Amino acid sequence: MRRRVLGVVAVAAVALFALLPLLSTDQARSAGLPQILDRSQLRELTTISMFVVLTSAWNIIGGLAGYPSFGNVVFFGLGAYATAVLTDPEHGHLPLVVGLLASPLVPAVAAVVIGFPLLRLRGHYFSIATLGISIAFGEVINNLDVLGGATGLFPPIIRNDLLFYYLMFFAAALTVAVTWWITRSRLGYGLVAIRENEEAAAVLGVDTTRYKIIAFVIAAVLTGLAGGIFAQWNSFINRENVFPVDYSVQMILMAVIGGAGSITGPVVGAVGLEALIQLLAGGSGVYTQILLGALLAVTVIFLPRGVIDFVVGRSRLTLAHFRRSLRETSV
Amino acid sequence: MRLSRIASLAVAVVLVAACSSGAAPGGAPSGSGGAAKTGADIIIGSPISLTGSTSNEGNLSKQGYDMWLSWINEQGGITVDGVKHKVQIKYEDDQSKPDLSAQLMQKLISEGHAQFILGPYGSPATASDAVIAEKNQIPMVEANGAAEAIFNKGYKYTFGVLSPAKKYLAGVIDMAATLTPKPTTVAILSADDNFSVEVAQGVVDYAPTKGMKVVFDQKYPNGSTDVSSLVAQAKATNPDILMNSGHLAEAIAINKAAKDLGLDAKILAYSVGPSTPQFIKALGKDADYVYDGSQWTPQVKYTPSFYLGEADYVKAYKTMFKTQDDPDYHVAESTAACLALQKAIENASSLDPAKVRDALAKLDVMTFFGQIKFDSRGLNIYKPMVVEQIQNGEHHTVYPPDVADKKPEYPTPPWSQR
Repeated sequence: MRRRVLGVVAVAAVALFALLPLLSTDQARSAGLPQILDRSQLRELTTISMFVVLTSAWNIIGGLAGYPSFGNVVFFGLGAYATAVLTDPEHGHLPLVVGLLASPLVPAVAAVVIGFPLLRLRGHYFSIATLGISIAFGEVINNLDVLGGATGLFPPIIRNDLLFYYLMFFAAALTVAVTWWITRSRLGYGLVAIRENEEAAAVLGVDTTRYKIIAFVIAAVLTGLAGGIFAQWNSFINRENVFPVDYSVQMILMAVIGGAGSITGPVVGAVGLEALIQLLAGGSGVYTQILLGALLAVTVIFLPRGVIDFVVGRSRLTLAHFRRSLRETSV
Repeated sequence: MRLSRIASLAVAVVLVAACSSGAAPGGAPSGSGGAAKTGADIIIGSPISLTGSTSNEGNLSKQGYDMWLSWINEQGGITVDGVKHKVQIKYEDDQSKPDLSAQLMQKLISEGHAQFILGPYGSPATASDAVIAEKNQIPMVEANGAAEAIFNKGYKYTFGVLSPAKKYLAGVIDMAATLTPKPTTVAILSADDNFSVEVAQGVVDYAPTKGMKVVFDQKYPNGSTDVSSLVAQAKATNPDILMNSGHLAEAIAINKAAKDLGLDAKILAYSVGPSTPQFIKALGKDADYVYDGSQWTPQVKYTPSFYLGEADYVKAYKTMFKTQDDPDYHVAESTAACLALQKAIENASSLDPAKVRDALAKLDVMTFFGQIKFDSRGLNIYKPMVVEQIQNGEHHTVYPPDVADKKPEYPTPPWSQR
C-alpha cells in the first residue's frame, strides 16, 4: 500500500518536473495561463536536473560498484570542452547537435584510459588518484591554447532556456533509466558483488576489471552529456566553472545523503540538497554555508544509509535507531 | 507512522516547489515617495562575491557601489525626463562562484525585478553574467572583469568601465620609453589565470612597438609563491625591466627572490600588489622603487563633469566607512560603473533597457575615475592606466605626467647599494 502511494507521489513529482516548465514560456503567458515559473526558477530546475545526472551517474561507479570516485567532475569538464570546442565560433563553429553528440564520447575514451590503471586501486587510494587526475586534467586544459587556455571557450548564446531545461531533464531521466536497467541486469549483480567482496566475486567468475570499467564508462558518458549541455547553456566555460572540485564533492554528498547504491536515493539527494542550496544561495549572509554544513553533518550522523532508507521505512525516527546509527558511523 | 513518512516525502516535494515558487518577496517598485515629480524607485541588481576566495575584492566593489548609492539618493535620485527616481541596489552573494553568479543574476532580474545590473567581481563571473545580460537584454555595467575576451564575442549588453587587461602594464612600457637611459629588454613572469595571461600578452604585444625586446616570458601556476627558479632563469637573461602579472602574494615572493638572487633590473613592475598597503608592510624598504599599473590612484587629477572630485571622493570614503585607508582602485572603478549607468539613464530620458543600452553605447563623460567612453565592443579603451611608484614607503603617481604628482625615481639602484 505504502509502496503504491510512494509510487504515485514519485510519478506526480516527475510529471510536475516535466510539465511545469511549459508554463514559463511566453506563449503560455500570452494564452493567459498562470505564470507559475519565471526564468530564474527554470534555471534552478535545470541546475537541479543537472545534479540528478551527476549524482546518479556517480552512483553507478560509487554506489553500485563501491568505487568512490572523487574525480567524476573530470568527465563533466571533458564533456563540456568537447561540446564547446566544436560549437565555439572561433574554433569548430559546428551546430549544437554535433557538439552534444561529442560530449559523451570524449569522456568515454578518457574513462577507459583512466580506468585501466586506476580501477586497480581500492578505497582511499582510488579516491585520491581520481581526485588527482581531475585536478591534473583541469590544469592541462587551462594551459592549452587550442582549447582557449585560461580564457576559456564561448559557445554561441542560444536564448531558449526551455530547450536546455528539457535537454537536462532528458539526461536526468536517461541516467535514472540506465541505473534501473543496470540494477536488473547481470552487470548490476556483478557490480554489487564487486562492492561487497571483490575477491569472492572474481572467484565466482565475475570479470571484475571489465565490469568496473564498463560501470566507469557509463558514468563518464552520462556525466559528460550533462557537461556538454551545461557548456552550451552557460555559453562560457573555463577551468573554474567546469572542473570545480566542489562538484565532485557535491555528487558524493548528494548520493550518500539520498542513499547510495539505490535508484531513487541519489535522485532524492540531488533534488533535495540542490533545492536547499539554491534556496539558501544569495542574500548577503555567511551563515547559510555554515547552516548547510551543519545540516549535512546531522543527516550523515543520523541517517547513514540515506534519506531514502528512512522514507521507505527501513530506518525509524526513534532514539534507538539514532543510537544504532551513531554506533555504525563512529569508529 | 505511515502517514508521517508520506508526509515527510510530501515535505520534500513542497521544498522543491517552494524553491521554484520563489522565496524572495517580489520587491516591486513602490509608488511615489510623496513629493511631486518623484517616480518609482529604480532597482539595480548586483551579484557580488561577499564570501569565498575573492570576498576581499568583492566587498571593496560593494563599497564603491554603496558610495554612489548614498550620494545619488541624497540628490533625490536619478532624473529621468524631469522626474526624480530614488535608487535601490539589491545584492546577492555569489560566493565567488561564476555559475552561482549567473544564477543569482537571473534571480535578481526575474524575482528582484532589477532593471539594470552592476557587474560581479572577477573575469570568470563577469563572463558568465554577460551571457545572462544578453539573454534577458538587460544592460550590465561592470567594473571588475578586465579580460578582453568577454568583449570580443559580439555581446551587446555588457559595458566595462575599466581599462582592459592588456593595458595593465602598457603604461609602464610607455613610461619606460621616456626615461634615460632607455631600457631595452623585458622579462615577464605571469600567473596562468585568464586575467594575468592577458596582461602578459599585452606586454608581449606592446613592448616591441616601443623598441623593447621581450627576452623572457614564462607562466607559473596561479597562486604559486615558489618562484625562485623562475626568477633565476629570468636573471640569466639580464633584463632591464622585470615584470609580473599576477597577484599580491606572488608579487611579494618575486620581489624577495629578485633581492635574494641579486636581479638588478632598472624597473621592477607588478600588475597587482604594490598598490595595496600589505605590500609595503610585507617588504618594508625593499618595496621602494617598485612600480605597478593601476586603474586609478587617489592622486590622479581629472576634471569631472559631475559627481565628486578625487579629494572629495577620498574624504567621503573615509567618512562613510570610518577608515584611515584611502579607497583603492577597486572601490573607485565600481563607483565609476554606477556613474556610467546614471549618466546613460539620464541621457536616455527613459528606463527602457534597450534605450539605456543605446545611451551607454554613445556615452562620453569625464569622471573622477577618468574618461568613460565605450568602443563598439563595450570596452572603455579611452581611459589610460596610471603608473604608481613606491617612494620612501609611500604611493605616488608617476605617469602619465598630466595626472602625476611625482617624477619616477629611475633607475632603481642595485640591491647591493640600497
